[in-house]
Amino acid sequence: MTDSAVRTASRIDDLTRALAALRPETESPLAVRIAQAARALAGARRAAVFLREANGWVPSFDSASEGPEWETPARFPDRAGVSEGRLWVPLEAEGEVHGFLALEGLEADDPTELAASLGLIFGAMLGVSRLSKLVKDAEFEVKARLLELESLYDLGLSLAGQLDVSALADEVLYRSISLTDARKGTLVLFGERGAPPLSRSVGGEILPPGATEAWELPAGDVVINNEASRVPTAGVCFTDCEKCLLVSIAVPERRLGVLAVADKESRDGRVLDFTTADARLLSLFANQAAAAVETTRLHREAIEKERIERELELAAAIQRQLLPRELPQIPGLELAGATRPTRQVGGDYFDFFPLSRGRLGFVVADVSGKGIPAALLVSTVHAAIHLQIDASDTIVELVSRIDRHLQRFSATHKFLTLFFGLVEPDASVLRYVSAGHNPALLARGSGEVERLHATGVPVGLLPNGSWKEETAPFSSGDLLCVYSDGFTEATNAEEEEFSLDRLERAFVDRLSMTARDLSDDLFREVSLFAEGVPQYDDQTLVIVRRNTEHGTRNTGEPVPAR
Amino acid sequence: MNETCRVSVERRGDVAVFWTDGYINNQGGEEIAREAYSELDRGARALIMNLEKTRIVNSIGISILIEVLEKVMERKAVLAFCGLTPTIDKTFRIMGLAQYAAIYPTEDEAFRAVSAPA
Repeated sequence: MTDSAVRTASRIDDLTRALAALRPETESPLAVRIAQAARALAGARRAAVFLREANGWVPSFDSASEGPEWETPARFPDRAGVSEGRLWVPLEAEGEVHGFLALEGLEADDPTELAASLGLIFGAMLGVSRLSKLVKDAEFEVKARLLELESLYDLGLSLAGQLDVSALADEVLYRSISLTDARKGTLVLFGERGAPPLSRSVGGEILPPGATEAWELPAGDVVINNEASRVPTAGVCFTDCEKCLLVSIAVPERRLGVLAVADKESRDGRVLDFTTADARLLSLFANQAAAAVETTRLHREAIEKERIERELELAAAIQRQLLPRELPQIPGLELAGATRPTRQVGGDYFDFFPLSRGRLGFVVADVSGKGIPAALLVSTVHAAIHLQIDASDTIVELVSRIDRHLQRFSATHKFLTLFFGLVEPDASVLRYVSAGHNPALLARGSGEVERLHATGVPVGLLPNGSWKEETAPFSSGDLLCVYSDGFTEATNAEEEEFSLDRLERAFVDRLSMTARDLSDDLFREVSLFAEGVPQYDDQTLVIVRRNTEHGTRNTGEPVPAR
Repeated sequence: MNETCRVSVERRGDVAVFWTDGYINNQGGEEIAREAYSELDRGARALIMNLEKTRIVNSIGISILIEVLEKVMERKAVLAFCGLTPTIDKTFRIMGLAQYAAIYPTEDEAFRAVSAPA
């Protein structure tokens, strides 16, 4: 083989290797591969490629090049040409210079044509590579935006069925940190009714959870602080982050917590500024969190309400057992009794006690307060009366015993008004004690009405209460009406009270009715007056009529609750 | 959750199993990439990444995992993920990682799959 043939064969080998180096699956960076290929194609001794990157010019060298690395020139030539023994070739595509190829130790005397060819080939290659990277970055960006939308959708679905606030907080915080590329984040949900706040953090706590409830955040409840390490955020200087983004977790007119992320990172390790787009995204997460927290709270309240209602229903059932199941049949007396609680359980109580020698005891009591505590006291009073009535010689003694019982055993400082009557048909006498109770109405057969005023203080109110027993004639045709203040204090839409006068007039107008009809009619009358306005106090009524004959006119069961 | 992502690796023949614990962000991603390239250089034919102790991956972490995947493909090796939370599973599918890397529910399933003869 001639020398020329050997050189040609060697040249072909160089070119083959050069082209192989350009194959995309080769691991070396593109700039290095271009330097290798260009050196082989041009028959140069050394080659380098300088690429324009975001942070300046970056040199790459052919690994086969010998000698020290070249320094990046302060200024690159405007066009291809030889300078200081090196051929400089701009690598451009679509009018944009992406880099420079530099070759040293060229064999060719006139490299102009070579420079044009190399510039064309490698400029196009670099342009395609750059374009490919742009497309790849854009595709990544589109997918990242899609991920944001999917996350918001998924978060909404996930939180809709999430009643565990702790898991909810984690879910919101993780997604917030992930989608804002933050290094760290904290979510604080304020405690309800004095409970401590719930706080979750990733990468360290950036907020002081205990103080956040008092923060006054600006309009929109969003704070972007890209100088957080030296400028206070919401009045607090954070020491553990450079930049932060805070949003309020709130429902209308109520803040529920704060969501914060800090130190948005970049691929090269820098901390980037948070943007308004980040703030919008975090606000969307905060809104989802607020809706979920509120839903959880409402759900918890609904369960609690249901539980209370079940307990109240049970208490009401127990309380109904305290009321007389049937009216006693007392010769010469006609009776009616009914109560209408404003809640499932009330603080009113009435009862009848058939006694020896044809006598009848009866009571109407009104406990202070409402609901379960009042019902418990009613239960105590019921037990006390039933236990003490046989051991008491007089009504005053009975009331005193009840008072002592309450003073001793009642857990709460509650009291009750009480009217205890004792009818002695044989003597045509009504004995009574009214412990701070509303005036009972005693109608004579003549139509005249007497008001029976209190004869002592309410039971359980004072440590040394005293009561006086009064008597009144209770002859044939006389009619007694004892009621609780829920009757006279019932209000209508104009906030006008039914009043004792109105009750007395209604009572007098119905004296000829049976006790049961009279009771029903008075309840109806007060309902008509109230016009559907909800009432806030129990209404109780007991009617006792002294008949002319010695028979009874009691008709059926009492109506304990309407 | 850990501020820094910890990565541990166990070699089982030509399969390298990675366990991550913590947030896969820039730091966590770089840690994974460093270990992955080291295992590829040592001749690993398959990489399994068990992410069961990772709850968060951000876009920087994903871009690094994509770079790792590209390197794995250049080396004609395979990459598989397992133990993903539903959120991370969906993230990987949307961001295109699942297009070239298989996702398995458990490490055993992943190991059986990558160990099976082609």
